[in-house]
Amino acid sequence: MHAHAASISPGHDDGHAGDDGHHGHVTLQYQPGLPLSRGKLIMWLFLSTEIMFFAALLGSYVVLRFGAPIWPKPHHVHLSEPIGAFNTFVLICSSVTVVLALEAARANKASLAKIWMLLTLLLGTLFLGVKGYEYSAKFSHGIYPAMPHSRIYERPDLYYGSAVRARLDELRKTPVGQVPSALRDPADAEAKSGDTVDLLQRLDAAPADRLSADQQTARTRLQQIQKIVMSADQQAFDMAVVADQVMPLPAEGADHGGGHGAHGLNDAFRWLRLPTVIPGGNMWASTYFLLTGFHAIHVAVGLLVFGIMCTWTLNAKRVGAIENIGLYWHFVDLVWIFLFPLMYLF
Amino acid sequence: MGKRLAGIFWSLLFLAVPVLGVATFAIAPAYDYWLPKDVSEHGASIDSLFYFILALTGVVFVVTEVLLFWFMWKYDAAKQKGEATYIQGSHTLEVVWTIIPAATLLFLAIYQMNAWADVKMRRPAMSPTVEVVGRQFEWRLRYPGRDGTLGTADDLFLVNDLHLPIDEDVLVQLKSMDVLHSFFLPNVRIKQDAVPGMKIPVWFKAREAGEFDIVCAELCGWGHYKMKGRVTFEPRAAFDAWLERKYAEQGATQPPPEAADVAAAE
Amino acid sequence: MTPPPVTATPAVEHGTVVGHAHGHAPKAGLSHFLSTYVFSKDHKVIGLQFLFSTLLWFLIGGLLALAVRWQVAWPWSDVPVIGKLFAQEGGQMSPEFYTMLFTMHASVMIFLVIIPILAGAFGNFLIPLMIGADDMAFPTLNMLSYWFMWPAFFFFGASFFVEGGAASGGWTSYPTLSTNPASSPASGMGQTMWLLGLTMVGVSSMLGSVNYMTTIILMRAPGMTMFRLPMTIWAMFITAILQAFALPVLTAAGFMQLSDRMLGTGFFSPEGNVVNNAIAGAGGGQPLLWQHLFWFYSHPAVYIMILPAMGMVSDILTVFARKPLFGYRPMVYSIAGIAGLGFIVWGHHMFMSGMNPALGITFMVSTMMIALPSAVKTFNWLGTLWGGKIQFTTSMLFALSFVSMFIIGGLSGIFMAATPVDIFIHDTYFIVAHFHYVLFAGTAMGVWAAIYFWFPKMFGRTMNEFWGKVHFFLTFIFLNGTFFTMHILGAVGFPRRLADAYHYETFHHLQPMNAFMTYCAIGMVATQVIFAANFIYSMFWGPLAGRNPWNANTLEWTAPSPPGHGNFDYQPIVHRGPYEYSVPGVEKDHLMQTDPPNAAAAAAAAAH
Ligand code: HEA
Ligand code: HEA
Ligand code: CUA
Ligand SMILES: [Cu+2]
Repeated sequence: MHAHAASISPGHDDGHAGDDGHHGHVTLQYQPGLPLSRGKLIMWLFLSTEIMFFAALLGSYVVLRFGAPIWPKPHHVHLSEPIGAFNTFVLICSSVTVVLALEAARANKASLAKIWMLLTLLLGTLFLGVKGYEYSAKFSHGIYPAMPHSRIYERPDLYYGSAVRARLDELRKTPVGQVPSALRDPADAEAKSGDTVDLLQRLDAAPADRLSADQQTARTRLQQIQKIVMSADQQAFDMAVVADQVMPLPAEGADHGGGHGAHGLNDAFRWLRLPTVIPGGNMWASTYFLLTGFHAIHVAVGLLVFGIMCTWTLNAKRVGAIENIGLYWHFVDLVWIFLFPLMYLF
Repeated sequence: MGKRLAGIFWSLLFLAVPVLGVATFAIAPAYDYWLPKDVSEHGASIDSLFYFILALTGVVFVVTEVLLFWFMWKYDAAKQKGEATYIQGSHTLEVVWTIIPAATLLFLAIYQMNAWADVKMRRPAMSPTVEVVGRQFEWRLRYPGRDGTLGTADDLFLVNDLHLPIDEDVLVQLKSMDVLHSFFLPNVRIKQDAVPGMKIPVWFKAREAGEFDIVCAELCGWGHYKMKGRVTFEPRAAFDAWLERKYAEQGATQPPPEAADVAAAE
Repeated sequence: MTPPPVTATPAVEHGTVVGHAHGHAPKAGLSHFLSTYVFSKDHKVIGLQFLFSTLLWFLIGGLLALAVRWQVAWPWSDVPVIGKLFAQEGGQMSPEFYTMLFTMHASVMIFLVIIPILAGAFGNFLIPLMIGADDMAFPTLNMLSYWFMWPAFFFFGASFFVEGGAASGGWTSYPTLSTNPASSPASGMGQTMWLLGLTMVGVSSMLGSVNYMTTIILMRAPGMTMFRLPMTIWAMFITAILQAFALPVLTAAGFMQLSDRMLGTGFFSPEGNVVNNAIAGAGGGQPLLWQHLFWFYSHPAVYIMILPAMGMVSDILTVFARKPLFGYRPMVYSIAGIAGLGFIVWGHHMFMSGMNPALGITFMVSTMMIALPSAVKTFNWLGTLWGGKIQFTTSMLFALSFVSMFIIGGLSGIFMAATPVDIFIHDTYFIVAHFHYVLFAGTAMGVWAAIYFWFPKMFGRTMNEFWGKVHFFLTFIFLNGTFFTMHILGAVGFPRRLADAYHYETFHHLQPMNAFMTYCAIGMVATQVIFAANFIYSMFWGPLAGRNPWNANTLEWTAPSPPGHGNFDYQPIVHRGPYEYSVPGVEKDHLMQTDPPNAAAAAAAAAH
C-alpha cells in the first residue's frame, strides 16, 4: 500500500501510483465520501476483519476453557506474571514510540522520526525475544502444543506410569553423545558411536561433591519413583506420588514464580525429561500456543514493515503510511492487552 | 402477435409452478411417498405442525406464484398500449406486508415451542432404559441388566438390535465412541446426534408394537450408509421375556469384547 | 468540491465494439499480453478472469453432481463412460468415493463457483462501472484477490489425485471425522488440502471485500449519493461487509482444524476419543465448537451467496418491466436486515447437534424473523412487476424465475426453522431440496440473468436470444424435475449423504423417484451445452450491442461496450436515482442517471 500524504479530498489521493494505465483518459472526480483517505479506510476495514479473527480465537479459548473439566493454574504451566507484565509494558512503550514517530514525521523531522521508528522496531523485537524465551522455557518443561513432543499427561494413571517407565528405560540406554557433562566419564571419549551408557546408574554413583544439596535430595526421590514404577503392582495412588516428585503442582496461592528454585526432578536434572502430569495441560498448551502464536505472527509482520520503513526518509510525505502501520500496531498491542490477563492472570 | 404468444407461453410456464407443485404434494401420499407411519406419542404434534406449516406456506406459495403469473400475463409489453405505471412504492403496503408475515411467524414461533420442549427439554425423571453408543458403523447397545443400573457387571451388551417396551416412557442415553452419528428413528419422529464426549438423553413413548429402522443420519465416514439398526417395540411382558432370553444367552460367560470398548468410552 | 469541468454526456452510439475510452497504440509482445490479460489490474479483466474460472468450475461441480445422482438412483451399478477412471472393481463406485463426490461437489459449487462468481466476477466487473469510478480503489490488491484463488483451485483440484482422494467429510467438515485421519481412511491428505484451499479462498474474499467497501464509500461519481446507488451495488456492499466480518471466523477455525490434523492438538476432539481402536491425541476439546464457528461463517455465507443475485435481479426486473423499483428504501433496509440477522441465526443448523435445546429456541425465533426481510423483498419484486410493461427477454425470464424459485426455497426454510419439524427433516433430502432451490434455482438462475444482461457490456455483443430462451426453458423444466421431488423424498425422511439408502425398509420404495430425478439432472447438465455454445459463439460473432442495448439507466450503460481502460470517456455526473423508467411526461421511457436535469425538464415541457 503506497499511501502518500493523507489527504481528505476526494479523488486520486492514493492507490493508483503503481498502475500502468492513465495515459490520457479523463481523470474522474468523486462524490465526497468519508473524510478518510483510501489507505486509512481500507486499513480500518482490514483491522475489523482482524478483530473478528482474534475474536474467534479468543471466543474458542473461552469456550474450551470453561468447557474443560479442569484448567491448570498459570503456575502449573510455568507462566511467569512478571515476565508477561514486562512484555506488556514493552509493547505499550512501542505503541507510544510509533505515535512519536508519526508526530515527528508530521513536523517533517525525518531523522527524529527515524529514531522513534528504530526504537519501535527495537521494542517489538524485544517483545518477540522475550516471547521466544518464554516459549523455550515451556519447551524445556515438556510443554508443547501437541502430542508427539508434549510430555504432559492429564492424570497420574497407569498410562502415565508406563510413560515414566519407558522414559527411565530410555535413560538406561543413553547414547554416549548425550551424556550431560556432570556425569561424563573419561571412558566416554573412547566410546564408539552407537555405544550407550546407563545414565541412572551413573547418577546413583555420582560423587556427592558434584551434586548440590538440592540435587542430592532429588536423587533420592528419583530412586523412590523408580521403585514405584518398576514394581509389579502399580497403583494409581502411587502414580500421584511419582507425578509429584517429577513436577509438583504448587498449591493454590503458593508463591512459586516460574523458574525459582528447583522443585521437581525435571528442574533439578533437566536432562531427565520425565513425563509430567498437568491436569488440563494439553488443552491449555494448545490454546496458549495458538493465541500467542498468532499474535506473535502479527508482531513479526509489523516488525517487517517497520524494518522497511527504517530505510525510508520519514518526512511529512510518509505520514499516511506511518499512520496506517501505527493503527495496525495499536491493534496488535490491543490484542495482547486482552491476551495477557486471560492467559497469565486468571 | 408472435410476441403476444410468447408472453402467454412464458406466463403459463410460470403458472405451471404452483399447479404442478401443489399437484405433486397432493399425489405423493397416494403413492406412499409421504411421512412414514408414526408410532410415537409425541409424533402427532410434530406431524400436525408439519401439516400446519405446509398449509401456511402452501397458501403463501400459491398466492405469490399466481400473482407472479398474473402480472406476467397482464402486463406483457406486447399487450400494453400505454406506458408502465410510474410508481415508487407504497408506504402502507410495506407496513402491511411486513406486519402480517411478522405476526404469522411470531405466532408460529410461539406455537411450536411446546412440542419442542416435550421432545428435547422435559426429560422424564428416570434412569436410562438403555444406552446407545454410535461406533463406525454400528449401534452398540447396553441394557442395565437386572440391577437396573448402567455400568455394573451385569450389563447386557448387544449390537444393532434394539428392543423397547411400548406404552411407557423410555430414556435412551446416547453416546458416541468415535465420530458424530445421529440416532434417527423415522417412525418415532426422533433424531439426535451422538457426539463424542457427550451423554445426551433421548426420550419417547411408543404406542404400537412393530419392528422399524434405526437410521444413522449424520455423516460418519465411508460406511455411513450401512449403519443400520432395527428397533422392535413390544409390550412390556414380551420385552421382559426378550431381555431374560438375551441375558441367559450372555449368561455367565465373559462379556463380549466390545463391552470393554463401550466401557472405555465412558 | 469544485464542479467537474467536463459534463458532456456521450451520444449513445450504436454498433461500436471498440469504443475504447482512449486509443491504445497496439503494443506487441508477451509482457504486454501478460499485463493486459493475465496479470491485469483492470477490474474488468479481473472480473472476466473470475467469470471464466468459475464457469469452468461450475462445469466440474455439475459433473460431480451427475456422478452423485447416478449413485443415488442406481447404487452400485457401473458408472458409464467415466467409471473406468476411478473404480476399483468394474465400473462401480465405492462408498468412500461417493462421500468424496458430494463433499467436493458442494465445496466446489460453494467456494469455487457461487461465492467467487457473485462477488469476484460481477462485483469486480460492475462496482466501478455502476458507481462511476475508473477502477477499484486498490487495483493491485484486486489482482491479488484473483490470484489467491489459484492456490485454492490447485488445492481443490489436486486433492482428487492424492493418496486417499479428496476431502470426504462433507462440505461442513465436522470433527472428529475430519480432524482424525484414522476415522476416515478415505481422506488423509485430501482433507488437509481442502482446509488449505478454504484458507486461500478466505484470503481472496477478504482482500476483495475490503477493497469493494473502500471503493463504494470513496469513489462514487459526483451526485451518486448512497441512496442513488443501484440495488446491485447495495447488495455487493452489504455482502462485502458480511464477508469481512464472518470470514475471519472460519479462517480461525480452519487453522484450528489444521492444527488438530497436523500437530495433534485436540481443539475439536474430546478426551479419550477412540477411533478405529486408536486413541486420538490428547483431546480435551469440543466437537460442537467447530460447528459453532463453521456456521457462524457459513450461515452468513448463504446470504453472501444470494444477496448479490438479489441485487442484480432487482435491477434487471426494473429494466424489463420499464418501471421504478417498488420500495427502493425498504429494499435496501431489507438487505441490511438480512445481513444483520444473518449473524444471529447460525444455530438453526445445529438443532439436532446436542447443543442446549433452550438455545435452540432462541435460534428458532431469530430464524423465523429472518424470513421477514426476505418477505419484504419478494413482495417488492412483485410490486415492481405490477403495472409494468414486461419484456420477455432471456435475462428477464431468468430474473423472473429467480423470484419464483426463491419463494420455494425460502418457504421450505420455514419448515426447518420450526424446531420440532426439523427433528424429522434434518439431514434429509428436504434440506437438500431447500438449499438447491435457493442456491441453484435461485442464485444460479440469477447469475444467468446477469450473464445475459451484462454480456453486451462485457464483450460488446449480445447473446443469441432464441437459444437463450431454449436454454432457459430446458433448465427451468429440468431443475424443477430434479429438485422439487426432493421435498417429497424429504417428507419420507430419505437421508442425505447416503451412498445407498434402499436397504432401509423405510426408503426402499423411493428408487423410481430418484431415477426420475437423475434423468432430469442429466437433462439439466446437457442443456448447458447450449449455453456454453451460445456464450462462446456470441463472444466473437454475436451482433454488436452498442452502449445501451437495453435502454437501462445505470452508469455502466453510458460507457462504451466494452469499456476501455479507465471506463468512462467523460466525467459521469449523477442527477437522479437509477430507476427512472416511464417517468410521466418524459418522452423517452427512461431517464439515465447522467441525463442532465434540464434535459428532463425540456423533454417534459416538449411533451406537454
Ligand atoms: C442462498 C442460500 C440460502 C438461503 C437464502 C437460505 C435461506 C433460509 N434458510 Fe437455509 N440453508 C442453506 C442455504 C440457504 N438458506 C444451505 C446451503 C443449507 C444446508 C447446509 C447443509 O447442512 O449442508 C441450509 C439449511 C437451513 C437450515 C438447517 C436445516 C437442517 O440442517 O436441519 C435451516 C433451518 O432453519 C434453514 C433456514 C432458512 C431460512 C428460514 C431461510 C430464509 O432466509 C428464507 C426466507 C424466505 C422466505 C420465507 C420466502 C419469501 C417470503 C415470503 C413469500 C413471505 C411470506 C412467508 C411467510 C409468512 C412464511 N436453512
Ligand atoms: C451452489 C451450490 C450448488 C449447486 C449449484 C448444486 C447443483 C447441483 N447439485 Fe448439489 N449440493 C450442494 C450445493 C450445490 N449443488 C451442497 C452444499 C450439497 C451438500 C453436500 C454435503 O452434504 O456436504 C449438495 C449436495 C447435493 C446432493 C445430495 C448428495 C447427498 O446428500 O448424498 C445432490 C443429489 O442429488 C446434489 C445434486 C445437484 C445437482 C443435480 C445439481 C445441478 O443443479 C448441477 C447442474 C450443473 C450444471 C448445470 C453445470 C452448468 C455448467 C455451466 C453453466 C458451465 C458452462 C461452461 C462454460 C460457458 C465454459 N447436490
Ligand atoms: Cu454413523 Cu452415519
Ligand atoms: Cu443457515
